[in-house]
Amino acid sequence: MSNDKPKPDFSNVKSGSSSTAPKPAAPAEQIYTVVAGDNLSKISRKFYGDANQWKRIFEANRDQLKNPDLIHPGQKLKIPAKT
Amino acid sequence: MRFLRYLVLLCLVSLCFAACQRSEAPEAAPPPAAAPAPAPAPFRVSGIDLGNAIGADKRVAAPGSSFAATDTIYASVATEGASPSVTLVARWTYQDGQLVSEETQTIAPTGAAVTEFHIAKPDGWPAGGYQVEVIANGASAGTRAFQVQ
Repeated sequence: MSNDKPKPDFSNVKSGSSSTAPKPAAPAEQIYTVVAGDNLSKISRKFYGDANQWKRIFEANRDQLKNPDLIHPGQKLKIPAKT
Repeated sequence: MRFLRYLVLLCLVSLCFAACQRSEAPEAAPPPAAAPAPAPAPFRVSGIDLGNAIGADKRVAAPGSSFAATDTIYASVATEGASPSVTLVARWTYQDGQLVSEETQTIAPTGAAVTEFHIAKPDGWPAGGYQVEVIANGASAGTRAFQVQ
């Protein structure tokens, strides 16, 4: 029989922050050159930290992408600024 | 008549001398160049206060280190100096080292500023000791300990 108390659960803690200081200027759109093994989800994770934002990259590159699953090494993709 | 001629000559010489003196007068010194604007102060965290309420200026109304289980706990971080980008992180931990929450705020301060971080727990905080560490651009800027009764 263990006397160890269960660890408190902090999974429902809500946090936030705000500041009187201005936010840094958003970086401008970037250009990324596709390398072997890339896909839009992977690139999205690299730039936004979230693979699910691949559609933003797809929409920004509709002029050269017809199929989001087809990108090629050497292709230069516009990466919209992180919001 | 001769005396009159001398007098006129003397006047002319005096006038010439006065004119020359005036033209040789030193020019007024140029106004001093405007002093260069002082370089902006480097960014630094100047204070960390804890409290259970903040004002519109993001400062805690009544700094303290003891809270009730139902409190929202605020850490008000005062900073000085300017920087194009500073990442402030508030890392809240429980007495056993367990991470309670970590919150990041990126700012571009142009002078004195205040950034607040807050945490709340709908079902109440477990009693015990906690601490919040404020990290600025990856370096610890200070730690504050507090208790929940």
